Amino acid sequence: MRLQIQHRTTYRYTSPASYSIQLLKLTPRREGTQRALWWRLGTPGRCVEQLDAFGNQSHLLTLEGAHDEVVLSVDGVVETDDAFDGRLPVEQGLSPLVFLTPTPLTGSSSAIEALARRVFDGAAVDETVARRLMQCVTEAVRFSPGTTTVTDSAIDVIARGQGVCQDQTHVAIAACRSAGVPARYVSGYLLSEDANPAMHAWMDLWSQAEGCWLSCDVTQRALAGASLVRLAVGRDYLDACPVRGMRRGGGSEELEVRVAVHEATDTAVESMRSRQIQAGQQ
Amino acid sequence: MRTNFYNEMYTAEQSVRAHYAAFADWLQSRPAGWLEQKRGEADALFHRLGITFAVYGEEQGTERLIPFDIVPRVLTAAEWATLAQGLEQRVRALNAFIGDVYGAQRILAEGIVPADVILTNAQFRPEMLGVRVPGNTYTHIAGIDIVRAGAGEFYVLEDNLRVPSGVSYMLEDRRMMMRLFPDLFSIYSVAPVEHYPELLLDNLRSVAPAGINDPTVVLLTPGRFNSAYFEHAFLAQQMGIELVEGQDLFVRDDYVYMRTTRGPQRVDVIYRRIDDDFLDPLAFRADSALGVPGLLTAYRAGHVNITNAVGTGIADDKSIYPYVPEMIEFYLSERPILNNVPTWILRRDADRDYVLANLKDLVVKEVHGAGGYGMLIGPASSKAQIEEFRARIIAHPERYIAQPTLALSACPTFVQQGLAPRHIDLRPFVLSGREVRIVPGGLTRVALPEGSLVVNSSQGGGTKDTWVLEA
Amino acid sequence: MLSRTADHIYWLGRYVERAETLARALDVQYRLSLLPQPAQAIAAGWMDTLHELGLLQEFRERFGDVDAERPRQFLAFDRQSPGSIYGCLRIARENARAVRGAITAEMWETLNATWLELRSLSMKRQEPDAFALFIDWVKHRSQLFRGVLMSTMLRDEGYSFMRMGMSLERGDGTARILGARLASASGGAATGGFYQWSVLLRAMSAFENYRKLYRDAVVPERVAELLVLSDSDPRSLRRSVDDLYANLQVVANQRSRETERRAGEFNALLRFGQAESVATGRLREYLDDCVERLRNIDRRISSDFLVAVETVA
Repeated sequence: MRLQIQHRTTYRYTSPASYSIQLLKLTPRREGTQRALWWRLGTPGRCVEQLDAFGNQSHLLTLEGAHDEVVLSVDGVVETDDAFDGRLPVEQGLSPLVFLTPTPLTGSSSAIEALARRVFDGAAVDETVARRLMQCVTEAVRFSPGTTTVTDSAIDVIARGQGVCQDQTHVAIAACRSAGVPARYVSGYLLSEDANPAMHAWMDLWSQAEGCWLSCDVTQRALAGASLVRLAVGRDYLDACPVRGMRRGGGSEELEVRVAVHEATDTAVESMRSRQIQAGQQ
Repeated sequence: MRTNFYNEMYTAEQSVRAHYAAFADWLQSRPAGWLEQKRGEADALFHRLGITFAVYGEEQGTERLIPFDIVPRVLTAAEWATLAQGLEQRVRALNAFIGDVYGAQRILAEGIVPADVILTNAQFRPEMLGVRVPGNTYTHIAGIDIVRAGAGEFYVLEDNLRVPSGVSYMLEDRRMMMRLFPDLFSIYSVAPVEHYPELLLDNLRSVAPAGINDPTVVLLTPGRFNSAYFEHAFLAQQMGIELVEGQDLFVRDDYVYMRTTRGPQRVDVIYRRIDDDFLDPLAFRADSALGVPGLLTAYRAGHVNITNAVGTGIADDKSIYPYVPEMIEFYLSERPILNNVPTWILRRDADRDYVLANLKDLVVKEVHGAGGYGMLIGPASSKAQIEEFRARIIAHPERYIAQPTLALSACPTFVQQGLAPRHIDLRPFVLSGREVRIVPGGLTRVALPEGSLVVNSSQGGGTKDTWVLEA
Repeated sequence: MLSRTADHIYWLGRYVERAETLARALDVQYRLSLLPQPAQAIAAGWMDTLHELGLLQEFRERFGDVDAERPRQFLAFDRQSPGSIYGCLRIARENARAVRGAITAEMWETLNATWLELRSLSMKRQEPDAFALFIDWVKHRSQLFRGVLMSTMLRDEGYSFMRMGMSLERGDGTARILGARLASASGGAATGGFYQWSVLLRAMSAFENYRKLYRDAVVPERVAELLVLSDSDPRSLRRSVDDLYANLQVVANQRSRETERRAGEFNALLRFGQAESVATGRLREYLDDCVERLRNIDRRISSDFLVAVETVA
């Protein structure tokens, strides 16, 4: 499947900021199940690129001089494997064990341990267990848009019983870790022709039995497929979130996000290709 | 009086050890009340110079002194020679271990340290994997805590590889002794320590990023409300480098600059005195106001060096300590010179069975804890406390290690009733850069309450000048 | 030098000087309050002083109406207000503590000892006759600190920032104290003109200077001329701004050209100013203009040197 992504983030400040710094994870991961045919990240200043600890393509943007807005724009087409069934190809690099350590956002409580017992119960981790995990988490934490403040920990979320995709994902990860199963956070885009938010969060859990990561879209209670584009993975939201930034001055902030993810038409892909060629010639 | 601990000054037969003989004679010849008077002078001097441990509130500017004891702790040239060799060996191995853990991971592949002990440890920083640091040096400044047990043999109690502190007291204690008792230094030939800031600066300059010939070095402090602020200001002043707070630094592209009255100035080496967690709010704790956003990116790009390196905590964690002797053999192919305290690892079945059967005689420590919390001292605990700890061990054995209780050596110390033995330890400071260098001695800490084994300054510990005699 | 370090040093200088200014303002009003006059007139004098120091609103919010007694205690020992002598010296010490490595040990010890003594003074009950002694003590401590500064501190950037803070604050203080007197004198109750203005001169340590320069009776026009335009009185606005400008030139950077220009312009205005420009009828306006210029230069110093210095492309 080919997905066309248009994503524009605007920060507006009530008074001019004198310095801004943002760490961006807005470039698709180079993985076996997806490749970017065309990708352009537009920022108001120079960026430096770095591969982070988890293999994510990160960009560090620094802005000096008075500014009262920061606009980030992303345009691109990503091709995903139609055959992708949630089983990620084996990758070199970081050991899954690294994703066993709880973080402040994925700590454990008795409620989370109880959930983990219902899910795992000593069974080998496979697709059935993964589905049971998604089932149990979405029952324990109802999807409810607009209930998160981003920094909510899994412990807070399960106590509240509702949240958005990142909250459900954090609870699922915390449950896995408390049961000794490595799990990691994924941030990315979701094909959404309807009103569903196109920025999305889900998780990978390590299946020792299958020897691979199983990618699970907890919110949709389904193994991940070709309609998802993976931007970044990490131990929790903070490692993988698309934008993490700080500034000096600027007063209070207003944030506007516009995301559209469509299935790309052949014409769109062609026009992208020609733009890519032009860009290459410049 | 018969004791089961080693006395630094007296033999078991109560005769004065040879290297303390001249001191004992000197002490004998002092008039009555003279020592009290000198101690008063020392206190007044420390107060005036403001060598204090800040306990700082809004209105009440309370600044506490760390008690300084006027009886020196003396090590012979031979004792020190062995210690110095052992310290250098140990720090070399720990440094190689950190490089390996964040590099090829040979020691994990060989199964010498179990992979999960490293990879699931909260002190393991995946951000450091594959990062090349200048000179492959991670532990630029190490403070190794050494104690002496019953028969006088030395043990390493703990390695401090993150932000070890206390070196300013080592320097000030010496200055004080020379001021109060100049004549003692003509009787004894004591190895100097005053060049420590010189060595430290040289060491920091030697680990600048490649291609920087005249590096700008700064000391990064959490600020004046930190308890060790005096030491930060003291060292920066002695080295003639800027004492900066996080707000003074900023990242542009992937370089670090400090804000000066003449515009931004590039910074090449940061001697940080704040923990990893607070270094960069974009990479670690997002709520840290002490760090520099973007610093980790600049560091990983090799444009600035941070001392000690990020992620050294993986090597001084209590769960790693038991493996240090094996590390020395693995990386250096040498026999360890310094003893490790025998340690039972409770994730091992046999060790756990033994420890659970002998809790009343042992010290059990939590591996991710620090500074005397989450610890059981068997001989000093009630039955109920022991049982409570037993339950915790059974629930999570991997979180604990156990050691025999050590009889720390004692040194005569000036207390209310006069001179009396008090337990001590020793923290030498080991500098690693182009080479490994150690100023002779270190900081001797003394537990002032009678019978106490706790030397921490936060819990009533004091300090002594440490003398290494020249051969 | 680190911007933050320069910032602490600059404010250290300002607050030490401000404590002295407060002592002098208190001195004027305290001496006048001892003259036989209705309590109302004394209160009105305090009101002018508080107003001129920018503290009237805070005082009213916390204590209500201005009476003849309370302002004195407030200006000397109030613990909450950064505008009292107590507050100024506390903040000065805080700033010094933050940059102990950048000032000399003697400067730190002087300031620390001052603070410790002030704390014990403020806890004792004040006898009426102790107040004049207290005012002298504050002036002495400030003078001592200045002496230690002059005789121990390295003549580097830090020294210039300290001098800038001190001279800016001194000029500002002189303008305000003179302004307060002007307000009271024009308030109608200005009997005993000589006494009013000579008290001011004494509080500014300028009485003898006046006599030497003018060999004449104390008249308001001359007092204003001395405190504003005189080249020889060390507390005059003219001398303060001259010192400010000179030190600003020492630390000048690529961003500070406009600040230098403004300080230079102000300096020239005072240097070539004529006595008529500070004539009684115009003095109010003139002083307000001076205070505004100083405020503007202070803001510019902050953004040019002390906070985030932006890149010069």
